[in-house]
Amino acid sequence: MTSELTAVRRRDGVAVIDMVGDVNASAEGALDAAWAQATEGHPDAVVLNFEDAGYINSTGIALIVGMMAKARAHAIPIRAYGLTPHYREIFEITRLADFLAINPDEDSAVHGAERSST
Amino acid sequence: MSDKHETAARTADALPDQQPNQLPDEIGGARDATHWAKAVSRLNVSQVPEGAINLNVTGKRLTSPIQGFGKMWQKTYQVRLPQERVSATDLIATWKQRFPDFWPEGNRFYAPLTGIEPGEVALLNMTLPGRMKLSTGVMVLYADEESFTLMTPQGHMFAGWITFSATEKDGETVAQAQVLMRASDPIFELGLTMGGHKQEDRFWNHTMREVAAHFGEIAVVDTQVVCVDKRRQWSRWSNIWHSSAIRSTVYMLGAPVRAVRARLGGKSTG
Repeated sequence: MTSELTAVRRRDGVAVIDMVGDVNASAEGALDAAWAQATEGHPDAVVLNFEDAGYINSTGIALIVGMMAKARAHAIPIRAYGLTPHYREIFEITRLADFLAINPDEDSAVHGAERSST
Repeated sequence: MSDKHETAARTADALPDQQPNQLPDEIGGARDATHWAKAVSRLNVSQVPEGAINLNVTGKRLTSPIQGFGKMWQKTYQVRLPQERVSATDLIATWKQRFPDFWPEGNRFYAPLTGIEPGEVALLNMTLPGRMKLSTGVMVLYADEESFTLMTPQGHMFAGWITFSATEKDGETVAQAQVLMRASDPIFELGLTMGGHKQEDRFWNHTMREVAAHFGEIAVVDTQVVCVDKRRQWSRWSNIWHSSAIRSTVYMLGAPVRAVRARLGGKSTG
């Protein structure tokens, strides 16, 4: 994953980070930059779009945990969508799903309409 | 240190809706599916090796850093070795195979019989400051050719995971242990602030030096510590109920009573 491939969009006051490519150790710089861009102006929420994400290893999961910690520190809700069944299961195993709302699509993620688990 | 290298077969309970022979493609098509542990509800230890104490593992849930109490820390320990001495994949293969050998004296890692494989559970018998003994465990969350990750259960000193990895860069093989954690409960948090962090640094510095020494190198350990979240999660204070420190202490204090009961039981049956 490179910063050129990680886009940040705005929609209805929510920042959407499009995760593209592998989420592993090499993604750290791109994710840090995307987070900084996404949280400029304190959005209502940050949504992580995994539709075009590839391989996520344990280091990548740790990077996502780091983002969740930053979100909590700044009182910004964080939600996700576009996870494959496999990665939904990984989020359950690692218990990220306890704190990260996983939505079925972008609309529900942006509007915070649905949580898969609490 | 070969006496520390003991093995046992343990597995985590798979969720009922999972098929044991399910192929990666059937659970989402990800190419890394076999590297991750299967979903577990609670840990199970099927065999306990001689000398190991199986406390605070069976029936416990896994905990990510998000479920912990204390400040969130990311600690990274690295050593650099000449690439011609060992490749990243060979280093990780050796690290997995000899994992307990690199630990400091007084701490035991009872590795799974099948080795460091996703979903396997290992028992830990640790020595804390004040010579306090602590029994807990870890589950292998992820393992591939260049990294593996251990995740802690409820009651462990910290909630989180440790990733061991190796990469090749500029003619060097960089071995790394990276801890992402929060202290599990207020007592462990207090312990960390009163010397626990230093002890943990010494623990992993020792481990990394031993890894390097195995490949014939006297290495300097590069340590980086980052506080990811300064806030404590006071809503998690009740994690203390699962504290392996308290439960291990109660278990040790009960040893004389168990010994007397065993002797009486032996006499009555003999």
